[in-house]
Amino acid sequence: MNDKQSVSTTINGHVYTADCEPRLTLADFIRHQCGLTGTHLGCEHGVCGACTIMVDGRTARACLMLAVQADGCTITTVEGMADGDRLTPLQEAFWNNHGLQCGFCTPGMLMCATELLESNPDPTATEVRERLSGNLCRCTGYDSIVTSVLDAAEKQRS
Amino acid sequence: MTITEPVQSQTKYTGARIRRTEDPRLLAGRGQYIDDVTVPKMLQAAVLRSPHPHARITGIDTSRARALPGVFDVITGQDLAAVADQQPVIWFPIPEQRIARTHALAVDRVRWVGQAVAAVVATDRYVAEDALELIEVSYELLPVVADLDAALAPDAPKLYDDWPDNVSGSLTYRNGDADEAFASADLVVGGSFSHGRAFGCPLEPRGCIVNWDSFEGTLDVWLSTQSPNLARDLLAEVFDVPVHKIRVRTPHIGGGFGNKFDFYGEEVIAAVLSRRTGRPVKLLEDRAESFVATGHSRDQRLDFEMALSQDGTILGLRGTSYGVLGGALGTVGSGPPWASVLTSMGPYKIPNLELHLKAVVTNRAPYGSYRGWGAPKGNLVHERLIEMAARELGMDRAEIRRKNFPAPEEFPYFTGAIFTYDSGRYADCLDLAMSKVDELGWRERQAEARAEGRHVGIGYSFHIEPSGYGPSRILNLAGLAHSGFDEAVVRMDSGGKVTIYTGQINIGQGTHTIYSQLAADTLGVPMDDVVVVTGDTDSCPYTGYGTGGSRAATLGGAAILRASERLRGKVFRVAAQLLEASPDDLQIDSGTISVRGTSGPSVTTRDVGDAAYRRLLDRLPDDEMPTLEEVDVFDPVNMATSFGCAALLIEVDPETGTVSMLDCLQAHDCGTVINPMLVDGQLAGGLAQAMGGALLEELVYDEEARLRTGSFRDYLLPTATDIPPFHFYHQETPAPDIPGGMKGVGEAGTIAGVSLVASAIDDALTEFGVTVTRFPVTPPRLLEQIREATSHKEGSQ
Amino acid sequence: MKPAAVGYARAGDVQEAVALLSQHGTDAKVLAGGQSLVPLMSFRLARPSVLVDLNRVGSLDYVRDEGTSLLVGAMARQRDVETSPLVAEAAPLLAEALRHVGHVTNRNRGTVGGSLAHADPAAELPTLVTGLGGELLVEGPAGPRSIAAENFFVGPFTTAMEYNEVLTAVRLPRLPAGTGVAVEQLARRHGDLAMVGVVAAVHLGPDGSVDLVRLAASGVGPVPVRLHAAEAVLVGAPPTDEAIDDAAATVAAAVRPPDDIHAPGSYRRDMAGLLLKRAVKTAIQRSEASA
Repeated sequence: MNDKQSVSTTINGHVYTADCEPRLTLADFIRHQCGLTGTHLGCEHGVCGACTIMVDGRTARACLMLAVQADGCTITTVEGMADGDRLTPLQEAFWNNHGLQCGFCTPGMLMCATELLESNPDPTATEVRERLSGNLCRCTGYDSIVTSVLDAAEKQRS
Repeated sequence: MTITEPVQSQTKYTGARIRRTEDPRLLAGRGQYIDDVTVPKMLQAAVLRSPHPHARITGIDTSRARALPGVFDVITGQDLAAVADQQPVIWFPIPEQRIARTHALAVDRVRWVGQAVAAVVATDRYVAEDALELIEVSYELLPVVADLDAALAPDAPKLYDDWPDNVSGSLTYRNGDADEAFASADLVVGGSFSHGRAFGCPLEPRGCIVNWDSFEGTLDVWLSTQSPNLARDLLAEVFDVPVHKIRVRTPHIGGGFGNKFDFYGEEVIAAVLSRRTGRPVKLLEDRAESFVATGHSRDQRLDFEMALSQDGTILGLRGTSYGVLGGALGTVGSGPPWASVLTSMGPYKIPNLELHLKAVVTNRAPYGSYRGWGAPKGNLVHERLIEMAARELGMDRAEIRRKNFPAPEEFPYFTGAIFTYDSGRYADCLDLAMSKVDELGWRERQAEARAEGRHVGIGYSFHIEPSGYGPSRILNLAGLAHSGFDEAVVRMDSGGKVTIYTGQINIGQGTHTIYSQLAADTLGVPMDDVVVVTGDTDSCPYTGYGTGGSRAATLGGAAILRASERLRGKVFRVAAQLLEASPDDLQIDSGTISVRGTSGPSVTTRDVGDAAYRRLLDRLPDDEMPTLEEVDVFDPVNMATSFGCAALLIEVDPETGTVSMLDCLQAHDCGTVINPMLVDGQLAGGLAQAMGGALLEELVYDEEARLRTGSFRDYLLPTATDIPPFHFYHQETPAPDIPGGMKGVGEAGTIAGVSLVASAIDDALTEFGVTVTRFPVTPPRLLEQIREATSHKEGSQ
Repeated sequence: MKPAAVGYARAGDVQEAVALLSQHGTDAKVLAGGQSLVPLMSFRLARPSVLVDLNRVGSLDYVRDEGTSLLVGAMARQRDVETSPLVAEAAPLLAEALRHVGHVTNRNRGTVGGSLAHADPAAELPTLVTGLGGELLVEGPAGPRSIAAENFFVGPFTTAMEYNEVLTAVRLPRLPAGTGVAVEQLARRHGDLAMVGVVAAVHLGPDGSVDLVRLAASGVGPVPVRLHAAEAVLVGAPPTDEAIDDAAATVAAAVRPPDDIHAPGSYRRDMAGLLLKRAVKTAIQRSEASA
């Protein structure tokens, strides 16, 4: 039962299939087996949020899932956001409002903000802060990230 | 005061809120951080760390680990010491200091929990970690020195048997006559301030990939470092390999904060493993390791007192800063606690000083660099004491500060201990902050809240940030075995586009953008025509220090400005030949060069590039060397000292001791502002880190010197709900000694933020009479203080 | 921080899960949302021999109205339960408590059953179920059985379940219409496990006196603590400030909180009393508002 198990999962529209040890985390699978290194590992114990991805339409921490659990799932990572070289309005808003510095937390922030704006297109600053409070950023002091998300919300509404 | 005018006359980009050139690929997930880099045939390593704070290693059995399939090699301290020297220390501020150095892997004794004792290299990290569990180490436990008091106790166990005690060194700075000042003072206020251990904690842990080619005799290194030139020089020292045989490259850096300035044992371990296996070796620090393996900071006690006259004039300052170092000295030794002493007078004129530094070793992890580098604790001393004095004297907190500032015409101002502040308009900056507190309506909010029985306070902190470290020879004199200059190469190519090469490293602060802004303005070309290349010692020039000491904009920027200015001269000389005009009559705008004041013919930088590289005949002046490239080395004559005044609106729940930060502002002066959006980002990020240190973050050691905070569940970084909104306001007093007039800004927030939180808490709890002196201020600690103050009050009634 | 080697089996239904657990013995572990178990594995603090994954057991993912009670399937995702209109109506305290569990991303994956089976004495759901006198439904080789909350949590991270039993659902009594509920916590940060917390449900009779009160505290001992003495003080009398103070005064004797790096036990003890006052007052306000 410790043997490798076949995992087949759709990431950003492409099917990836590999034989994985059960202990392989989904984060390591995405990063190293699939080569999608935009999903970052900042803590590997489910606190920092940098590895946040979308699994079947909802945010999940890739370090808290095993690759074998993702068999048959549909996943979006940060690489799947932009359309070719065209950034999404949310990514643009982060760019315009200095919503990132080192960029390490950014993929996770983008995922959580995307999920928030899907269910709440007109959030308050407090709601944005609350929703992003599970994602650590060590560079920005958060305010510019909140501004970015509010800016994106406004642009998406208009 | 003389102010050097910025070298460029027209300004197009400098001063503008320009979004960063770095961002699109980072937003798209296309960045390349250290763990994203793979090298062919690469193996992965992991490190076994000591579970004991102080022990003799009596034996290590690696046989079971070696036998595990997938394992290539296992090394111990003895294996490493056979080929590598001890870890280097570069700062020696204290004369005759005892320097405690160790090898990257402990050879016979461990002195802190987490000290590396063995390393494994295997096919992947999973297998490497499996192998670590198979290494058997026998330890003979030794008595521990868990904290400062234990280290200084008369019968304390000694960390180093050949030392008389646990004191690495002591130093005193005197100016004027402190004894006389205190004897004649109307008021003396004093306190013992302590800051818990904390660290920069970049969200990306550290890592490296080392490929040692024994046949070429070369080391090819990928390293998540702020200081590739320093790493290269130190690797050369440790392995006795010529510098030119070592190449250090940096990928994207997921935050540095000083933690990635230092030179760590992991670089050396990976090199040894690579040499022995003949394979490139990746060694990443994981998050759990980061709490014991990345440099710790802030751990200091500062016993200080301030003497004042009745009218609030500060007469003297004296006290001792105890640096609670670890079981060995980190790269920067006792540098940060030393800097605390040197900044303890802050922005105030204090004629009589007696400042002591005592650096003490304990069984804790080594002390390293963290944004602020001592200055946050210097700030605690002067800002806490001046507020205590204001309270005693019944003076307004702004008034007493204003009273003690040097006036603008008193600059350059010598503090009495090492630093000379270059320029400043401190009172203006204070007034700017106070006016914004009014404009934002904080006083009304406070009054309303108080009327409802809530405890809302406004806090202030004035800080100085000595930046642009610094004149190389003076740094050498102060004990740095390294320099402070910065070198830049600005090159225009055959197509007329510009490439800047610098030794500075982008750690998220946006150097690529601001360098493009500076060069584009100086050269008169569009920003899009400029690219910046960093992070490769083979192609990039030397930086004396690295990216630290808030020097990227000041010193790196100045070198780029000066090189660009000279390059523009050459561009004009070539263009003059093409236009049959005098270089002195030319102007350049968006890459097009024409004769000033005429609408005649023009040429572009593309034409100039072509004339300088390809079709030289009749087009490049005979006395000009082909190519368009200028090098500049800028070594400042003095540091640049920026300053600011921060204010914070806070609410305290006196029944629970919990603190909520409601709103925050900072008026700031870093001379010429290159990009206000990025400056604001630096201020905000720094403040947030300081707020974390003030309220949440602490690396807790118990009385057995065991670290109790080994995860993000225990070491609490502030989140979006902890940090308030920010408002920033700028005034610009140019740095007189820096071309361009820039001063540093990277560390401002971390310097100001801790005393800021303290000031606001005190103000919120005015009715109780609480003075916060110990950080972080946790709810139980604050509640205890409130209760003590209450019972003290009741007792005295 | 890579997990040690582990086996993996995906259960198709509860019976299969029970069979797998029986087959692999005490070192096997159920994998639900993974929000607590996987980090422990990454630190190698947990090293199960086999993971029995319940995530494809769709029959455990439900919220069901049973009239006088609400039944929540063990594999119902916390976020789904938190946002369920049925839960908002029938068990508002559950929705309120769930909002304090980690962050949305954790609750997307985290399950109600996973949190209860993990039995962290500082966690919200065990406390809530203890406070409401809920019932835990488990299934083992001998079939299903039900365990009262106060017997279910037997120590830190320890429950009354056998190694080869699976938690299948939790049953919560439906409180009378107009019951006010509150969750009061002191956490170092939003989303953290609280240093100490209190859940409260209060219903007032027509004469304004308390006719139903449920109180429990987290973070104050090896298991969540139902505050019976405080309930006894409050029930049957008007909820005056004095009565609430008296109720809070009983807390100190009912709890024995541990010291840890975030707070000494004495702080938790004192704060449990304070939070009880705040929670009861908020619950009463809400009860009056909805009566």
